[in-house]
Amino acid sequence: MELLHVKIPSWGDLQWWLPEAVLCCTFLLALLGDMLARGRRPVVAFAISVAGLLAAGALAIADTHAVAPAGGRAIMGDLMVVDGMAIFFRLLFVFGGLATVLFAWTSEEIMGHRRENKGEFFALTVLMTVAMMVMAEARNVLMLYLAMEGVGLTSYVMAGYMRTSLRSTEASLKYVIFGAVSSAIMLYGLSLLYGMTGSLQFSGIRAVLLGGGAEPFGILVAVVLILAGMSYKIAAVPFHFWCPDVYEGAPTPVAALFSVGPKAAGFALMIRFFYTTFAVGTNAAASNSLIQVINWPLLVSVISAVTMTFGNLVALRQTNVKRMLAYSSIAHVGYLLMGFVLLSEMGLAAILFYLLVYTLMNLGAFFFVVAVNNHLKSEQLEDYKGLGYRMPWAGVMMVVFLGSLTGVPPFAGFVGKLYLFTAVMDRQWFWLVIIAGLNSVISLYYYFRVARVMWLVRPDEGHDSPLRLSWLQYTVLACLAVPTLVLGLYFGAFKDLADAGIRTMAGG
Amino acid sequence: MKLMYDFFTGQLGLGAAGANITVAAVMAVIMFTVMALCAIILTWMERKVAGFMQSRYGPMYTGRFHGWAQAVADMLKILGKEDIIPAEADKGLFKFAPILVLLGSLLAWAAIPWAPDFVAADFDLGLFYIFAVSSLVVIGILMAGWASNNKWSLYGAARGAAQMISYEIPLALAVVPVVMRAGSLNPQDIVIAQQGGIWHWNINPITNPFLFIAFFMYFIASIAETNRGPFDMPETESELVAGYHTEYTGMRFAFFFLAEYANLFLVSMIAALVFLGGWWAPFPGMGWIPPALNFIIKGVLLVFLNMWVRWTLPRVRVDQLMHLCWKVMIPVSLLCVVGAGVWMMAWGQLK
Amino acid sequence: MIRDLVFVLLALLTVVPAFWVVFSRNIVHAGFALLFTLVGVAGFYGFLGADFLAVTQLMVYVGGVLVLVLFTVMMTHVPAVGRRRHGLDRLVPPAVFAAAVFGVLYKVITVVKWNVGEASTSPTTAEIGTQLMTNYVFPFEYVSIVLLAAMVGAAILIRERSHAGSDDAIAEEKQEARP
Repeated sequence: MELLHVKIPSWGDLQWWLPEAVLCCTFLLALLGDMLARGRRPVVAFAISVAGLLAAGALAIADTHAVAPAGGRAIMGDLMVVDGMAIFFRLLFVFGGLATVLFAWTSEEIMGHRRENKGEFFALTVLMTVAMMVMAEARNVLMLYLAMEGVGLTSYVMAGYMRTSLRSTEASLKYVIFGAVSSAIMLYGLSLLYGMTGSLQFSGIRAVLLGGGAEPFGILVAVVLILAGMSYKIAAVPFHFWCPDVYEGAPTPVAALFSVGPKAAGFALMIRFFYTTFAVGTNAAASNSLIQVINWPLLVSVISAVTMTFGNLVALRQTNVKRMLAYSSIAHVGYLLMGFVLLSEMGLAAILFYLLVYTLMNLGAFFFVVAVNNHLKSEQLEDYKGLGYRMPWAGVMMVVFLGSLTGVPPFAGFVGKLYLFTAVMDRQWFWLVIIAGLNSVISLYYYFRVARVMWLVRPDEGHDSPLRLSWLQYTVLACLAVPTLVLGLYFGAFKDLADAGIRTMAGG
Repeated sequence: MKLMYDFFTGQLGLGAAGANITVAAVMAVIMFTVMALCAIILTWMERKVAGFMQSRYGPMYTGRFHGWAQAVADMLKILGKEDIIPAEADKGLFKFAPILVLLGSLLAWAAIPWAPDFVAADFDLGLFYIFAVSSLVVIGILMAGWASNNKWSLYGAARGAAQMISYEIPLALAVVPVVMRAGSLNPQDIVIAQQGGIWHWNINPITNPFLFIAFFMYFIASIAETNRGPFDMPETESELVAGYHTEYTGMRFAFFFLAEYANLFLVSMIAALVFLGGWWAPFPGMGWIPPALNFIIKGVLLVFLNMWVRWTLPRVRVDQLMHLCWKVMIPVSLLCVVGAGVWMMAWGQLK
Repeated sequence: MIRDLVFVLLALLTVVPAFWVVFSRNIVHAGFALLFTLVGVAGFYGFLGADFLAVTQLMVYVGGVLVLVLFTVMMTHVPAVGRRRHGLDRLVPPAVFAAAVFGVLYKVITVVKWNVGEASTSPTTAEIGTQLMTNYVFPFEYVSIVLLAAMVGAAILIRERSHAGSDDAIAEEKQEARP
């Protein structure tokens, strides 16, 4: 049996998996600490989670120097791989998880006095971080599926965290149902693929495909089914239905994490899966025979174009800021998918860099919504009138995030888009670039509508008292806003990190 | 089994496949007969034990000797009763439910090794299989409760199903240490591993104290699994009339009745074969006792213990029942699994 | 011969109740019909020599999942379930879609050269156990921690509300119900 070729994992493998192992322990400790804390004070779980995430982040940074052989290091019996890309995503997820935990601590929706299970919330966030990391590391169909389910299960719970709220419960239920259906579809595709190739290992599947032992029609169906499952994770059209409703219903810090974490993890997984299974890394020439069997770049490019257009057009009509951000995140998935179809190192590096920028700016925008929601209990655009005058510092930072999301200089979003568009031009997908360019113009309108309402409209009489943010909120927002600005001007180091991540990607 | 197989191939000249099918059919008939007989005998036994516990005689007249024929008479009476299906019942499901309940027990009976060469279905996964097919009973109970269209029935069914799926966990966990020790899920292998008299049985607390604890976990869980007192919440006559079989009469009621006692004997037999050496005699010099008799005696003793508990202890509340399962028995059973493993590793008992 | 017969019987056991699940107007009947489909699938596993998988299918799906499904279905009030009519307009689009999916899958199944292994004739349990504890020990442990999270999550979602919060919660719900 082909299954048996995998190597037995040794304790030594754990050394390359330390950040995740630390986070697993953090999860258990946070649960335990929460149980033992007198009166179930959530600060115990919070402190443990923050400490664990910090430790994992430090270990992940240390790993960037320790592991950098091209091709990465296969761990856990070849089921996973730690390479440059995995390390890049590790850092991204730890950062996202940490920012979410810190900001959730200040959110009324999570920490309000009538909420329960506050400790478990932090524990689950930590575990979700682990699951996302595993998604970025999996190189075996089994791990791929388990990692996706890990992210799914934790996120269903987090979406429904506000149990007493109908909207939150609805969000959770929708997420579960769509998630279950899409993962069933994906599983069907994966099982077809296994049936045709007899291998669970990404590279093993490719070896069979390269050997010419595959029927194109069967592969096409399998790929379509698998893409359906993955599109759900990254919320690409036509599997985006859940996205606005879930973001709107879920607690806003959770929606913030959903809009960046699982999406980035989904991209990591897609890159790893498609570039090791249906392509020979970024080697376009070598991948040619595989592309002839299944032209997935064309398939994905169509999804990309439809996704960005749809996301932007619908975002235009939203009056709820959270919902608007949800549609905008769909549009951003469309942009990101452009880099995915190019079969070039440039394209993938652009995705990684854009994901980094996107994490900063999108988390920032969502956190601003959290801060507003704490005071106004509303996410409606009309209630944002004159907010710039009521919370000037946060208002300025929100403008930074919105500008960056639009992609105008001098913000980081501009650089991200520049790289993406250049990479697409480089491979001469002109029609895709034109669509993306038009879309950017559309997005300008709705992002700046928010900025306009905040700064150019005076607050109503009686609703103009200044709103206070806590120092923690200012700190987290500043930690997101300053890089968003700085990365727009000085991006070399981070671009290098993304490039290195792709260069040392395994499976070429 | 082999004897029977040889008889069919040799004497009757059947082919291998034909002989296998015939053996299976004969075994099924034997099992069903034994099961029915067993239910009749256990009914009588239950009444006598109940009488004894309550300082009275129990049945004394039918059949002269201690009313031994009372159970037979009762069976005949039940079979002769009118078969009533409530007008508002879901007829198809109502008719199918008792069959499903009985089927669940009968399928589980197939994997019980009665003697060294007498198992209806001798296969590798025996123990796991027994627990798996027992779940058919749960579905049957839910079906009966719902199809009756009677709130007491539905309550009873819901309680029964909740109780059975909850207690299945400690029940299965309690058996795990034994499986670890024998290195097999096959009941026959588990019995064979206990060769050599009473001190080699798995229950011996000196060999492995955790197995000793596991036996009690198993025993308690098995009482709940068969829905008998003090855990007979699904039937609580003071609240629910008779639970999920309130609406059943005649033959269909007999099926439930049969299944209840079949299950009672089944869990006792599993306890006997897993913890008490199955068909091995307790002492080396007693090899002359037929293995099947050894086994049945152990089973009946455990049934007696079960009845003793039933007629002695008062019924618990539903929340107490669930509390016991999830907060006491499951942790203790898990501890048993870990403890037994560590113990076996420490003393080199692992296979 | 006998193998073909067994196959056909199992297929009937799996597919016919599956139709019942889909078309039954009574949702509880649909749930019970699922029993046969699940048992049929278990039968297929056994038929193909995957004995451990067969029994696990029974244990997990019949003993666990189906019971939960039935519980949910029985305890949920489904309004006007009997009165819903299957008009042609409601039946045709799904039927066309289903036929299309069937057509595609049929073509895949017939066209593709499948990588067919030998059906195992010996018991698989020991091998599965060994694999889980050696090569696949990592997924095994990973699943356990994910399932723990799922259990914690389930407990969070169903835990009884504290009494202090209930009134506030209703007020909040009213506020949040605003369109």
